[in-house]
Amino acid sequence: MSTATVSTNIKSPARLVPPATRLLLGLVLMLAAFGASLSFGQTTIPFASVMEALIQFDATNTEHLIVQGSRLPRAVIALLVGAALAVAGALMQALTRNPLASPAIFGVNAGAVFAIVLASTLFSVFAMDSLLWIGLGGATLAGALVYGLAGAGPQGSTPVRLVLAGAAVTALFVAFTQALLVSNREGLDSVLFWLAGSVSGRNLDMVLPALPLILPALAASLLLGRAVNLLMSGEDIARGLGQNVARLKTCLALLTVCLAGSAVAIAGNIGFIGLIVPHMVRGLLGHDYRWVVPGCAVFGASLLLVADVAARFLIIPQEIPVGVMTALLGTPFFIYLARRGLRYE
Amino acid sequence: MIINLFTTSRVWSNIMALSAASILLWSSVVSAKESGLTSTDTWTIHHAQGETRIAGTPKRVVTLFQGANDTAIALGVTPVGVVDAWAEGANYHYLDDALSGVPHVGLETQPSLEMIALLEPDLIISSRRRHEKIYSQLSQIAPTVSVPTVFDIPKTLELMGQALNREHRARALWTDFSQRITAFRQQARETFGEQWPLSVSLLNIRADHVRLYLDGSYAGSVLNDLGFARPAAHPRNQWMFKLTTKESIPVLDADVVFYFMEDDPAVRDNFKAWTSHPLWQNLNAFREHHLYSVDRVDWSLAGGILGANRMLDQLFEHFGLEENT
Amino acid sequence: MNKRERFVVGPVTLAVNYRTMAISAVLIVVCLALALLALSVGSVTLSPIAVLEALMGQSSGPERFIVETLRLPRVIMAFLVGAALGLSGLILQALVRNPLASPDILGISGGASVAAVAFLSFLTPWLAIQWLPVVAIAGALIAAATIYLLAWNRGVSPVRLVLIGIGLSAAMGAATTLMITLSPITTTMTAYTWLTGSVYGADWDDIRALAPWLLVMLPLVLSQSRTIDLHEFGDALATGLGLPVQRSRLYLLCLSVALAGIAVAHAGAIGFVGLIAPHIGRRLVERQFAGLAPVTAMIGGLLVLTGDLIGRTLFVPLDLPAGVFVSAVGAPFFVYLLFRQRY
Repeated sequence: MSTATVSTNIKSPARLVPPATRLLLGLVLMLAAFGASLSFGQTTIPFASVMEALIQFDATNTEHLIVQGSRLPRAVIALLVGAALAVAGALMQALTRNPLASPAIFGVNAGAVFAIVLASTLFSVFAMDSLLWIGLGGATLAGALVYGLAGAGPQGSTPVRLVLAGAAVTALFVAFTQALLVSNREGLDSVLFWLAGSVSGRNLDMVLPALPLILPALAASLLLGRAVNLLMSGEDIARGLGQNVARLKTCLALLTVCLAGSAVAIAGNIGFIGLIVPHMVRGLLGHDYRWVVPGCAVFGASLLLVADVAARFLIIPQEIPVGVMTALLGTPFFIYLARRGLRYE
Repeated sequence: MIINLFTTSRVWSNIMALSAASILLWSSVVSAKESGLTSTDTWTIHHAQGETRIAGTPKRVVTLFQGANDTAIALGVTPVGVVDAWAEGANYHYLDDALSGVPHVGLETQPSLEMIALLEPDLIISSRRRHEKIYSQLSQIAPTVSVPTVFDIPKTLELMGQALNREHRARALWTDFSQRITAFRQQARETFGEQWPLSVSLLNIRADHVRLYLDGSYAGSVLNDLGFARPAAHPRNQWMFKLTTKESIPVLDADVVFYFMEDDPAVRDNFKAWTSHPLWQNLNAFREHHLYSVDRVDWSLAGGILGANRMLDQLFEHFGLEENT
Repeated sequence: MNKRERFVVGPVTLAVNYRTMAISAVLIVVCLALALLALSVGSVTLSPIAVLEALMGQSSGPERFIVETLRLPRVIMAFLVGAALGLSGLILQALVRNPLASPDILGISGGASVAAVAFLSFLTPWLAIQWLPVVAIAGALIAAATIYLLAWNRGVSPVRLVLIGIGLSAAMGAATTLMITLSPITTTMTAYTWLTGSVYGADWDDIRALAPWLLVMLPLVLSQSRTIDLHEFGDALATGLGLPVQRSRLYLLCLSVALAGIAVAHAGAIGFVGLIAPHIGRRLVERQFAGLAPVTAMIGGLLVLTGDLIGRTLFVPLDLPAGVFVSAVGAPFFVYLLFRQRY
């Protein structure tokens, strides 16, 4: 019932500019956002200082200390997590042919958060490597539940059923997480971090265990672009053209869980990136997943970087958790999508 | 046939529904305003949730927050029921002896009304901040005096002194405490001369952020009374400030920095992370070794006159000042 | 046992299914038994005889106080809240034509949560706590109205309603998290307990505020039985049968929101009751609303009552919120139900 197209949207005036150039512009945007993340904050650091801090680091200069010690890890994390979440969302939307699919809506984030909270409150697990795998486990469990609930295979599930199943599974894990919080009142504070989503407060070496997961997953997603295009034209057609549909779908599901689970393990529950960015990118770069996937990585990183910078200024001198910021930005967009209907274009 | 009847009677049911709804809304608003009124007996004590009449000297007291536990012991009364402490087990260590054998009635935030009723008290000390909702049920068990917050030591002392018929003792405790504060100020001025007043910062290290306690907090107001100054960067008249990013480390710099934290692996890790950050090493307080760890219970959790005195003990000791006995 | 008898009483026609009547009777007995159990246990265990004596005013002392003033309002509140939530979920599931819908998922609890957490975090120094239910209901109504208006596009389709409800629910969750982050720490615990759902501290004033609403709404809901059944047929068929679909949908939505709102206002955001109770009801009795509604209400009441019972007896003297156990028991059960039913 979905009418997915593989070619670029004919009505878009930006069609005159080839996708490669648009992607390049996106890359420039991402670098600009990265720079902004390094410059702006409680103290605005001029760009020259930022460059100096990166190239000629001086340990006695306060500004250099801030850039290297605090803002650089934060920007790198925002970059990675934004890219991972956006690509996960794109893959999910392709997999389920549901324009509202995203890790947060499908309960994957909530499952990862619950698993992490469980491990840290009941079993006192704090090491990043362990938490990473635990987060992945929770994400997988949630994803499997949603898929099973909505009916195995896209034939059995309508987009609405998937979304509702996702909401039910999210509610399930959120309820369990809240139960843990209520019974463990001392641990309340640290857990808030996971619930709200934040890219600050983490060192780069905490991110290192996640790199072997996220980077290969991103690379694999890039390589699967052509296969996903085939899948979008219809499963029967894809099978007819010799593609192993079941294996591809399993791959996509695993990649999604990998990316989303790692993102949550690093930065907590950040929603809406996985939902909005694929739509934006499809509008800009067309439906060719060979462009959509890298586009999502680039624009997802940019969006999270921008949201993080904005989060520093809204209630200065305190900071809003970036997950709240993305919700504020993403809700109007979500409502627009929902009103427009579930045509997957 | 049934559907027809249905449609015509719907007009009526609509009208009824609308009027019923408005009446209900009005009544719930009215009942919201009316509850919270107290009994119409003679008044003796005015407190945060009205007035309570107490006959004679209460002997069986139930205290429902930490500061009340502390103050009761200070006034020489052992409660017949107390609430759990926030740390160090069921009671804080400094109250362990005094409260040994005293039954617990649950958490400060959710005491068990049944257990309180079974203890058959003749006075209950509650806090409006925590127990506003259950006040009416508490006052049906026993006369209940409600203290406005949980960390206002002089108010708690005053109200409990009145309720327990020990106003003299309460006043004496407060006078002693005030005299100690004055003594500290004088000694500090003499010892530090021109450097006085020293600026002070009070930190609470948590698992994923650091809290700066300002002059509106309990310990902060004591430090204020003692004459300490606050760094210019600190907001005034506020309770607390969350530092979520290590960028803000310079904000907490002062002549003297006191910090306390829970004994928890996540907290210890976070402490390590913050203190090994280059900005921390740049702090004046760090370079001049004026960073002091203090007791979490006395400085933040106790909330009563005994805890406050212990905090003063630690301050006198830190600065090597002598107390005149 | 699907026999039906028709009784005509004035303008009301009752079509009675004997199986439904039997099951309802059994449920009533179960409710009373559970209530008696709930009144007997707690910090001190009383025998059922002692409880009955206390209820009839034949005993005195702390036991009577405990039963009459502490446990009885709490038991009644738990039951009423559960019943209201169960009914609300049943109506919503019929309206949306999807058995996975419920007031907490569609943002109604979310709106109440935002209002309640805002109240608990920032307004308690100035306003008495008795205003909390009013604030929570206002939040629920505003959220529901927002969802409805945003879903309006020459009429409201169930699909759009669901999607916008879920989206706004996520946004309201973020707003709630934001407020908890900004709140003074003394109220964070209270806010979380409210979000989990608890009937701790329920007293007769609360019952007096809650009961009239339910007494008024129950007949209103039951009088809509036929209409609700019609909605299940789909818009086209319902319109063909003479139902003003949009108006009726709005009215039923209001009823559902009002029921959920009043329940959440008094007991916090207890989840899953509105989702599970209708399912269990459907497996026990027929699908027609008139028979299903009382059964669902009783099951919802039993769920919350059980959750509260476990919460206050398992870790005496700790009093864990009912919502924890309702979710703990209800959620996996729900997952199991759905896997079997393959909705």
